[in-house]
Amino acid sequence: MISVLTWGAAALAVCGWVSVCALAVRRFVLVRLERRRGKAELRLRRVALALLEGESVDLTDLNGDDADVLATVLGRFGRNLRGATTARIASFFERQGEVYRQLEALGSRRPWRRATAAFVLGDMGSRQGIASLRAALDDPDLAVRSAAARSLGRLGEPTAVEPLVQALAERRIPRSVAGQALLAIGEPALPVLRNLVRAPEPEARGLAVELVGLLGAASDGAELVGRLRDSSAEVRANAAHALGKLGAEEGAAELRGALGDRIPFVRAAVARALGVVGDADVVPELLQVAREDSFDPARAAAGAAARLDPAAVRYAAAVPGAGPHLHEAADLVEMAG
Amino acid sequence: MIHGLFHVMSIIALVYFVVLNGTYLVFTGVAWRGITQHRRERRYAALEEAFASPLTPPISILLPAYNEEAGIVQSVHSLLALRYPSLEVVVVSDGSTDSTVERLREAFDLVPVRKALRAGIETAPVLATYASRLKPSLTVIEKENGGKADALNCGVNAARHAYVCAIDADALLEEDALLRVAKPIVDDPERVVATGGIVRIVNGCSVDHGRVVSVGLPTSSIATMQVVEYLRAFLVGRVGWSRLGLLLIISGAFGVFRRSLVEAVGGWSTTTVGEDVELVLRLHRHLKERGEEYRIEFVADPVCWTECPETLRVLSRQRRRWQRGLAEALWRHRRLVGNPRYGLLGMFALPYFLLFELLGPVIQLLGLPIVIVAFAVDSVSLGFLVAFLLMSLFLAVLLSVSALALEEVSFRRHASGREAARLLAYAVLENFGYRQINDVWRLQALVDLARGKTKWGEMPRRGLGLPNEAPSRS
Repeated sequence: MISVLTWGAAALAVCGWVSVCALAVRRFVLVRLERRRGKAELRLRRVALALLEGESVDLTDLNGDDADVLATVLGRFGRNLRGATTARIASFFERQGEVYRQLEALGSRRPWRRATAAFVLGDMGSRQGIASLRAALDDPDLAVRSAAARSLGRLGEPTAVEPLVQALAERRIPRSVAGQALLAIGEPALPVLRNLVRAPEPEARGLAVELVGLLGAASDGAELVGRLRDSSAEVRANAAHALGKLGAEEGAAELRGALGDRIPFVRAAVARALGVVGDADVVPELLQVAREDSFDPARAAAGAAARLDPAAVRYAAAVPGAGPHLHEAADLVEMAG
Repeated sequence: MIHGLFHVMSIIALVYFVVLNGTYLVFTGVAWRGITQHRRERRYAALEEAFASPLTPPISILLPAYNEEAGIVQSVHSLLALRYPSLEVVVVSDGSTDSTVERLREAFDLVPVRKALRAGIETAPVLATYASRLKPSLTVIEKENGGKADALNCGVNAARHAYVCAIDADALLEEDALLRVAKPIVDDPERVVATGGIVRIVNGCSVDHGRVVSVGLPTSSIATMQVVEYLRAFLVGRVGWSRLGLLLIISGAFGVFRRSLVEAVGGWSTTTVGEDVELVLRLHRHLKERGEEYRIEFVADPVCWTECPETLRVLSRQRRRWQRGLAEALWRHRRLVGNPRYGLLGMFALPYFLLFELLGPVIQLLGLPIVIVAFAVDSVSLGFLVAFLLMSLFLAVLLSVSALALEEVSFRRHASGREAARLLAYAVLENFGYRQINDVWRLQALVDLARGKTKWGEMPRRGLGLPNEAPSRS
């Protein structure tokens, strides 16, 4: 027993010392490396800016480490740029063989390498990676699929819309990732999204309705109005929200009818939308919802009524039994002057 | 007879130490894997996209404040400036007797507004509610004193958004901390119901306008030992439990929760001093009893900076309060302990907390004297005594060093080599007295609890909101 304990203690002591020494060496190496990288970044930022401006830059003397640093700097710039500058960044990465390296990494056995490669390909802006990124939407690892979706969005690739939607419908990528990618693709995604508002999966329908609200035009109102009668409460709420976003006034009558929806969060979304697309005629109904409904719809209705007819809200709030939501809305109207 | 008894007790003490520290070592391994994975994931976390996305869920930040006149304005400014697409800040002055509300009124041009509040959770009476002419996303509520939990519940009743973030009034969030802590929710809103971030010690750091501008170590030994302790607790403990899907604690200083769920379980408990651990336990229980698939996650990189006690007196109060909170939470949910219906939560996490966290101080404080007495009465040999002591010491040191190693390979917040060396020294030194005195306080808490003592005193703070201040160096 004693010898086991003694050997155990000795082993622990050795482990502790080895860990400490390893950490000290690691820190020493890292600090030097970071210092060197910092200096290289400062030096190469000018080169990166010249590349972005389309100037011809001689990169023949660039060693491997500097090429990595330049790629990092350009990748960082690439995230915030669009258009011709992105094309120049992409062409730099293609010439350097970096795109090829990342495409190879997409086939790595390690999921995190594949995910990093999928992500970096989006920052590089090269269209050479699109087919592989589309294929990566079927990767067994969620992080890889999400990174690929994000990159396809960044590249604004219209042919990626359907695979993205499909991946969303099959719950292979998170809703937020798919949504953001489709938003990044922008208008080219709209035709597919418009078709998708009638998709069989409520999840896909819900997101499509929401995105049409963010990307579409008031003319999309007619299709969205139909979704106010969808079997899914989330889709109905999103449709109301989208109608408000688009300012689709032709949806006002249907929205008015939807104020009686059985689900509170749908009624709240409907009330908010009416605050944008409704007119003075709907105010009495909104005031009634504000007085009588449950918390969220009542608060939304009071806010909507205040937006459409502040005087009516002030008046209604002064009547006994007005309720807390009308009081709040009236006070906010007062505060806004 | 006595010889045999002491011999057996010595062996029990040894087994306890080995099991406890062995479990810690396993956790260190799990945490190491978790942190490494998290570090890699940061490369493709797409935070920029989450920040720019209209699909990122809005969050209501709840800031309970009791006599926080010194730093409240700075805290609110820094919260309103957080990098998050859509947020509101709800300040709840919990019966403050100083000029907390007055300061806010002046700084943000507050106007009394009869704000509608949900009736979902019962709280102490609300005296007044205010909106700001300057910051539409700021709400201030003045209510009668009811404690921090009551103030948080009042904040939940006032919150507009589907997620609430509870933070301490004296805590400082890093600029993108909210975005980072909310990322698991953004990615999987159906399953992730709550997330918590890491709490780090601000003593010794330079703070300017509510932001930590340079990270440093406190000059005080007690505070520096707490830096090591926090690293161990968060980077090993929380990461490990979170990886196992058994996270029981989301720090009261910084956590995000699905509002509807907090309402469904009745909000933070006002009758315990450990309302943070109690709430998380209640959420687990509620969701498990309904057979729902859910996740409660700890995220290691969103940082909330908070001030720690620098005197033994105040530290002892804090530790006794924490221990009492844990005891109350475990007692309240004792039905779950060892209950297979609650899966690993009932069969592993809660028994672990009961045996090693709650009763740990008793056994650890008794273990060493037992072995010494056993040696004195010739029940065990000198060799056993020395080997036992060395084994316990080296295991404890190795565990602390592992936590520092995790910090070193992942976040490396203490950039200077000198500070890293100091932390290492304290990782060794804390085993000579500091941990033992902590055990004494925790034991005292159990005694106080048994005697029905409920007063814990105040925790005096230096205040963090003022520009260019380094609290522990002043």
